[in-house]
Amino acid sequence: MQRQLRKKSKAKWMMQYLLLICLLILAACSSNTTSNNSTNTQPDQNTNENNTEEAAEASGELTVGIEAEPTSLDPFNSTDGNSATVQSTMFEGFLRFDEKMNLVPVLATEYNFNEDATEITFTLQQGVKFHDGTDFNAEVAKENLDFVRDAENGLARASFFSFISEVTVNDEYSITIKSEEPNSAMASYMAHSSASFKSTEELKKKKDDTDYNLDRNPVGTGPFRFQEWKDSEQIVVTKNENYWNTQEEPKVDSITFLPIVEASTRVNKLKTGEVDVIFPIPTLNAKELEQEENVDLYVGSSTNVFYIGMNFKEEKYNDLKVRQAMNHAVDKDGLIAQIADGYAQVADSAIAPAVYGYAGQSVYEHDKELAKELLKEAGMEEGFKATLWTRNTTEFVSVAEYVAIQLKEIGIDVEVQAFESGTLFEMLDAGEETDLWIGRWSPGTGEADYGLRPNFASDRVPPNFNNSGFYINEELDGLFDDALRTPDQDQALSIYADIQMKIYEDAPWVFLHIPDTIIAKGKDVNGIYVLPSGGVHLNLVEKQ
Amino acid sequence: MIQFAVRRIIGMIPILLIITIIAFLFVHLTPGDPIRIMYGAELDQETYQTLRAKEGFDQPLIVQYGTYMYNILVQGDFGSSYRTKTEVSSEIMRRFGFTFTLTMLAMFWAILIGIFVGIISATKRNTVWDRLGMVSAITALSVPEFWFGLMVMQIFAVQLGWFPTSGSGTFAHIFLPSITLGFGVAATIVRFTRSSVLEVMREDYVRTARAKGQKESVVVWSHVLRNALIPVVTMTGLQFGFLIGGAVVVEQVFAWPGLGSYLVDSILARDYPVIQALILLFSFQFLVVNLLVDISYGFLNPQIRYD
Repeated sequence: MQRQLRKKSKAKWMMQYLLLICLLILAACSSNTTSNNSTNTQPDQNTNENNTEEAAEASGELTVGIEAEPTSLDPFNSTDGNSATVQSTMFEGFLRFDEKMNLVPVLATEYNFNEDATEITFTLQQGVKFHDGTDFNAEVAKENLDFVRDAENGLARASFFSFISEVTVNDEYSITIKSEEPNSAMASYMAHSSASFKSTEELKKKKDDTDYNLDRNPVGTGPFRFQEWKDSEQIVVTKNENYWNTQEEPKVDSITFLPIVEASTRVNKLKTGEVDVIFPIPTLNAKELEQEENVDLYVGSSTNVFYIGMNFKEEKYNDLKVRQAMNHAVDKDGLIAQIADGYAQVADSAIAPAVYGYAGQSVYEHDKELAKELLKEAGMEEGFKATLWTRNTTEFVSVAEYVAIQLKEIGIDVEVQAFESGTLFEMLDAGEETDLWIGRWSPGTGEADYGLRPNFASDRVPPNFNNSGFYINEELDGLFDDALRTPDQDQALSIYADIQMKIYEDAPWVFLHIPDTIIAKGKDVNGIYVLPSGGVHLNLVEKQ
Repeated sequence: MIQFAVRRIIGMIPILLIITIIAFLFVHLTPGDPIRIMYGAELDQETYQTLRAKEGFDQPLIVQYGTYMYNILVQGDFGSSYRTKTEVSSEIMRRFGFTFTLTMLAMFWAILIGIFVGIISATKRNTVWDRLGMVSAITALSVPEFWFGLMVMQIFAVQLGWFPTSGSGTFAHIFLPSITLGFGVAATIVRFTRSSVLEVMREDYVRTARAKGQKESVVVWSHVLRNALIPVVTMTGLQFGFLIGGAVVVEQVFAWPGLGSYLVDSILARDYPVIQALILLFSFQFLVVNLLVDISYGFLNPQIRYD
């Protein structure tokens, strides 16, 4: 009897416990308990307390899942793609790139070079207003360009504009940018996302108070205006009702950017419809999304090039035959199939096809026997030991390990050493123990000079520059300058083709692959395009 | 007890001071230049030097440390993040709320499940319930948090649509991350509770209580648990100390804007002011949690004295 009672009370106790758990789960499933966001699986609404308007139709609000939070909303003070994507909804410059990396006029209606390419003159769009109601004109553009170039302001993009020697206002809607040296790439530089203009009222605030934070107060001329930035939660931009360009008025009321670090989570959020667009997407997740009915995958060639750099201070890499052998040893097609899941193409130049000025070369075919023969001719029949530095991310380590296996087959015993990226940069900058390293380079300007010069010009060796292999080639140095000095674009292209041929033949890198740019969107989203540089143009996005 | 607490709090001061020195040296001597990481490969020397001077990196380390400590002690200023250009203290305060909420709920699930299953396993020793409890606990300990998080997301968010996949703002948002964070801790609590209860159940006073004819439930809940819970509380406190430092993996998987992801991003960017402030905060939290654990013994067992 006693035992039965005990059993009963225990059963009752367990029932109460289970009931409590069920209640908690029900509570969890219940709707909004705070004033911040929408309920359950709807995309987050904007949360500005001052906004008393009713929420717009769901179709008018776009939500974008991005890989990381922007570092800044000031185009002059950031160098990462996430920042550029968010900024480009609010800011505009003279020109921009389209999806084929062609130059498209925005705040300038036209531009002209002088005869020796030392000056570029822009004729400006009239009637353009900033989000704060102030006018855009040549004086404003000059003030912006003078501000970013002033080293005292310590802006991240100061060196990007260092080619400018002087900015002259010709009249209210005409401005001339001068360069000490002839520079036919000036137009491309001015199409870069960092060459965007902000209201001079903001510059004035910064000059009056050095603590004023331009990174958090974006005031541009773009189709969307800044609404809020809740750190690590969301950035919201809303439609600019007074946008100057009536031909390209925004078709959604707002865009919300959600930083979602984990790729699988971004993918899941797209599947459930919590976000409308996601990028970037690792190749493995892209394969998975190909099967999804309600998702469109955009795959396009990027401007990135993966390569193995070699240190020319090491004697073994001074022999061209060794460098050729290494290029022949790596099976690029195999690498693309196995490591990049097919989302890449073989690098047949030091720059990608999407870069202006690209000229494809005859690829180093995968040929182990030829590679061994070349090593033998170089007096290195026995091979040698090498160290390959790589970033410690999955993508980079996979490529490094694949290359190491391939080189091992011709007798080059490669030890892969993975480092966190900050440490790796410091080691490459020090330039003391560098042997081989994996690099990835993309020219933000979308043109050949910025794709080649930083990696192969003699004056770009460490510290602080990207020619970490200390590759010195005076002939190339002269050609770089010739190409820039040539205002005739056809002639410039021909010089760049010559440069690329020389680089490819001289093989200062093991040329690997050009990864695809992959983004995914819901089928009800249209009007976005992806730049090969990895940025996403959202200004004309539509949501049905 | 008050005296004991005051003594311990005063004792924290030199410890925290030593931690500031260690943290400062740790971040400044780690390879990696915050400016190069932030601004990329093509930074000319002039701009580079300007930016270094702007952040005070051109000063000797001792001067930099002095300035850092002066700003903290005199102005209460922990500096601004290089990466996000926001005040470190306000950002930490904001994110602390997220981490604290997530940790509290995770601990709630862990304690609720852990102690319940642990007691069942101990009192039903060698039965199917005991084995089921222990197998579940070992499984939970063995499963990586990352994988478990993605699995619950796949089932409850993607397939069933009961919860949002990630983000923050509502109780629905916190449910899956808290379960993910709590399940591993729950498993540890199960094992601790079980062994601790078994040990106490062999004590003479428990046999006496049974001999007096008290109900088994009274014996377990009144006599056994009080003493059995002391090591469990210690271990739970330690776990809480770890979790409140931000659950990096769970925060990344569920895009939860807490301190863990903040620390990881800051380390990758060599964001010195943030890393230093977070190390100091985590150390302080650990000291406080340990103090609270020690004080809680007195409530569990009044015979414990703080001499």
